[in-house]
Amino acid sequence: MTSKARKFALLAGLSCLIGACDDYRRTGVAETGVIYCSEGDPATFNPQLDASGTTVDATSYQIYDRLLDIQAESNDLVPALATSWLVKNDGKTYVFQLRKDVAFHQTGYFTPSRNFNADDVIFSIERWRDATHPYHQVGGGSYPYFNSIGLNTLIKDVRRINGYRVEIELHRPDSSFLANLATNFSVILSAEYGDTLLQQGNPEALDSLPIGTGPFKYDQYRKGQYIRFRKHENYWGGEVQLDPLIFSITPRSSLRVAKLLTGECDAIAYPAHSELGILDQRPEIALDEKPGLNVGFWAFNTIKPPFDNPDVRRALALAIDKDTLINAVYFGSAERAKGLLPQTSWAFQGSLRDTSYNPVAARELLDKAGVPRGFQMDIWAMPVERAYNPNARRMAELIQGYLKAVDINVNIVSYEWGTFRRRLREGIHDSVLIGWSADSGDPDNFYRPLLSCSAIFSGTNRANWCNNEYDRLIDQALQYTDFEQRKLFYQLANTIIAQDMPLVPIAHAYRYHAYQSHLHNFQLNPYGGLSFAGVIKQ
Amino acid sequence: MARSNFYQESQFPSPFQQTWMEFKKSHMAMIGLVLFAIFILLLLFAPVLAPYSPDQQDTESLLLQPAWDPRGTFSYLFGTDSLGRDILSRVIYGSRTTLGISILMVLMAMLIGCAIGAFAGMSRGLRASVLNHLLDSIMSLPSLLIAIIIVAILGTGLSNCMWAITLALIPQFIHLTRDMVRTEWHKEYVTAARLDGAGKVRILFDSMLPNMTEKLVVSGTMALSTAILDISALGFLNLGAQAPTTELGAMLSEGLEMAYVAPWTITIPGAAILLMLVAVNLVGDGVRSALRYRLHQ
Amino acid sequence: MMYAYIIRRVNLLVVTLFVLTVASYGLAFLFPGDALMNLSGVVTTDPDQYAELKQKYAFDSNYVYGFFVYLGHILSGDWGISLYSGEPVLEEIARYMPATIELSSYALVLSMLIGVPVGFWAGLRFHRSIDYTIMTGSVIGFSIPVFWLALLLIIVFSLQLGWLPMSGRLSLLFDIPQRTGFILPDILLSDLPNKADALYNAALHMVLPAMSITIVTSAVVVRITRRSVADVMESDYMKAAIARGFSPAQAIMRHGIRNALLPILPQIVMQFTVLLTNAMIVELIFSWPGIGNWLLQAIYLRDYPAITGGMLAVSALVIMVTLSMDMLIRAINPLKRRDVHGTI
Repeated sequence: MTSKARKFALLAGLSCLIGACDDYRRTGVAETGVIYCSEGDPATFNPQLDASGTTVDATSYQIYDRLLDIQAESNDLVPALATSWLVKNDGKTYVFQLRKDVAFHQTGYFTPSRNFNADDVIFSIERWRDATHPYHQVGGGSYPYFNSIGLNTLIKDVRRINGYRVEIELHRPDSSFLANLATNFSVILSAEYGDTLLQQGNPEALDSLPIGTGPFKYDQYRKGQYIRFRKHENYWGGEVQLDPLIFSITPRSSLRVAKLLTGECDAIAYPAHSELGILDQRPEIALDEKPGLNVGFWAFNTIKPPFDNPDVRRALALAIDKDTLINAVYFGSAERAKGLLPQTSWAFQGSLRDTSYNPVAARELLDKAGVPRGFQMDIWAMPVERAYNPNARRMAELIQGYLKAVDINVNIVSYEWGTFRRRLREGIHDSVLIGWSADSGDPDNFYRPLLSCSAIFSGTNRANWCNNEYDRLIDQALQYTDFEQRKLFYQLANTIIAQDMPLVPIAHAYRYHAYQSHLHNFQLNPYGGLSFAGVIKQ
Repeated sequence: MARSNFYQESQFPSPFQQTWMEFKKSHMAMIGLVLFAIFILLLLFAPVLAPYSPDQQDTESLLLQPAWDPRGTFSYLFGTDSLGRDILSRVIYGSRTTLGISILMVLMAMLIGCAIGAFAGMSRGLRASVLNHLLDSIMSLPSLLIAIIIVAILGTGLSNCMWAITLALIPQFIHLTRDMVRTEWHKEYVTAARLDGAGKVRILFDSMLPNMTEKLVVSGTMALSTAILDISALGFLNLGAQAPTTELGAMLSEGLEMAYVAPWTITIPGAAILLMLVAVNLVGDGVRSALRYRLHQ
Repeated sequence: MMYAYIIRRVNLLVVTLFVLTVASYGLAFLFPGDALMNLSGVVTTDPDQYAELKQKYAFDSNYVYGFFVYLGHILSGDWGISLYSGEPVLEEIARYMPATIELSSYALVLSMLIGVPVGFWAGLRFHRSIDYTIMTGSVIGFSIPVFWLALLLIIVFSLQLGWLPMSGRLSLLFDIPQRTGFILPDILLSDLPNKADALYNAALHMVLPAMSITIVTSAVVVRITRRSVADVMESDYMKAAIARGFSPAQAIMRHGIRNALLPILPQIVMQFTVLLTNAMIVELIFSWPGIGNWLLQAIYLRDYPAITGGMLAVSALVIMVTLSMDMLIRAINPLKRRDVHGTI
């Protein structure tokens, strides 16, 4: 065996010397196979249970479908598993007509006996809505997205009208409801699979060995290494062009870019902002850019002294120079954030005032608040890259430099991503560099999960900040469908944030997508979530 | 000082002088020694020699090319890293940390190792047998592997790494001293000293130690090169020196993120480690072959 | 005599492994967190399950008894569950270990193929210009930090020239079922239609990692060989052979080679352990799915059952390799048989 290997290596080396091995990517069978280099392990294969972008990318659009989709260009809702829908006059009752002849995945561990119907919709929604549902507690019983926006308490009832018609009744009108049903998290599971697993006494498999209606079916997963998907032969949306689809898990962004350059990845997640210039120059690599609906920020733990004092938070905000942070961390490919919303949102407030860099004023404020010189604080920096913050560690190091100038010593804390988020929930941090990518175009998707009181418990309000006035304002905004009226409420909310400064918004990063140009039709979704459904490899 | 020589006796160089004369003959060894001296100078005078502080961030010039590149400037000879820190200064301070800590570790390991080794060499019976067994099995594990395991236990960080590597270096000194003591113990000069009534400790320090010095220097340089390699490897693996500490291995690992955009953030610190190791190994080789030559005569 | 020696060696192996298991049992208590969790890898908040675990590891009794219960689990193949992946540790080790052995053995063979002839050459031309040139090269080669070398090779051959892949040991597009764990036999055993392509792809993946290790190791092999050959050349029996009218070439062929090579072997075996450590680092850089990469990930993730398991497995491998090589050397080298106390 050894000699054979050596012969091959020698052969390879020789052919390389004469410059003939540029096609080492050649794989014979796998002309339709695609390798996507992703940034981390999904926490689960069911995005209902986890709001992180990594989970969503790997599952939402690959394995599952939703009732509705948001069209990227126009922000319009378009049919998916629901072919049509109507709102009754009271504004509280929605009726969905479902698509027929939609097949679930057939895999080694499950063979469906029927197609998609109303039971599956009810099963999928009741799982997170109804605390008495047999599956509610499976996988921890926490549904971060739905809980953070309060969708579980908004829905009053989900009724089956007939096999292909479902009615959902709300407690009160909500102008963001349909958009929420189109988010990455509102996926449709198989009720039949759920029942089978319950009989087998293995309900956890619902989230680890997934069954859905999406274009790809789960084949194999090796944690920290790869996820292998095969194509779903009977996909309702037309013939799937790729097979297999592989997520190669590559946490280091420089390594992902390198693997894209050598052709070992066909597409990569979150190219490092520092290396965009190089990717742009390569003719065989396509680089798409879109303004992202996201915000990267520095949140203070407002229940922990001295950060419970708004003066301290304002002082720290004054002590950092955002422009430099944007330059050094995003390499300029981001816009400076003044508030939570990026410019592309319709509720963006152009007149909002931003904090300016003023270390002298910062020190004065700190003195006034009684923060001693040489005070020691922690900054938690995420260990992974996100669109909203490609390098939290470097940002933390820069902030460390700035705070040193106002006599505050910074200790940078970081854990593995899973541990990081678990500890963050415990609320023991002083401050954290993190951010948010929106799941729908609705501004409520920024205001509510990030800073509302209920979001403290669902673990998306990293500042642990609770302000009743603010909660009242964002609730009121949802009562209106007119954009101009809603905008007024959000402006008032902005004023409260600017005064109280539970977090310092830093940047809205552009979203990038880098892939080999032999992939076609590979679109960027502004709301996060990655789809290989229509992608063609040529 | 002129000294009148009454006797026709020619002056014999002392063993140390002989070794030194032999060492001087080898160009490679002298090059190594000069390089090593330069690193020692950097170690001692880093704050004077480095143009900037290693943590000083110049946010105006991030990822600046080295001076020999048309885009570089001479104010940053080796360019800057992704935080705008001067790479030359960081390499100087990094060499200081890497080399300084390595020397410290080797001295500590030598001290402890020789003490245990001397004890083992002079003891007999069960104690020696147990020790030999343990030693044999530990010696068969490479020091870096032991260090990785110890760091896994103690947790990451520079001081834990120091303990780990020191511990991993000790066995070879025990081994050396034990064998030396065993073989020397039966030689005539030791017997003579014993007959004179000298105690064990006295024999060890007065009679045997001078005979061991050169061999200790040889294994000291070998241990030093292992220590440098290990500490920078642990730094590179993010198990050793953490962020604000400047260490060559850790610098390499930081540069990894920019490998393609700024290859100099990898090549320069790596080259510094290489030079340091070459210097140590050349000196070690030189001493060893000089010693071999002298003993052969 | 030989039997006494073998018994002594096996005794040593058993003692060492015993000490290591004691260490790994002790570690579970030294590591942060719950000792029971660190031993078993089972994270549970369910009191019943916890009580069951307590029973299983005999946590109510004293440490000594607890240790022997633990030893029983280790011997029966129950090494706990990885906190990170949730899979049995022993299974994971069995999955990743072959990749490391594969890479290391190729690198070792290559280093000997390169190092021994070059070292021989330098030894025969002892203290002449070619010897100095080779020695300079070898000093540099053996001073290169292997992680830096690997990075340079990637920058040059993968990123700049685009000749060779830089991660993994086979393109993920090939779905090769694991049988032996060694990639090349696995490809041959698979029912893939395009085995040649897969073999070619696997060979390309192997070039850079094997090269990084080989460069460093062969530099050491050169030094060892050169020294040994030079010693043989200076020996009285060689001088005698030449005096008796053999040409130098004849003398070397008749008396030199065997005598020069035999003392090299044990030293090269010593190098295998260093090579293995280098391989562990190189694995991390090339995302090679081997035990080193796996163990380092376990350290980063503070996956204690995996750390102790990995430590045990790697040390056991190293000790067994050195031991078996040592016995082999004794079998072929009569000079070595005399000293029973010899160290590895």
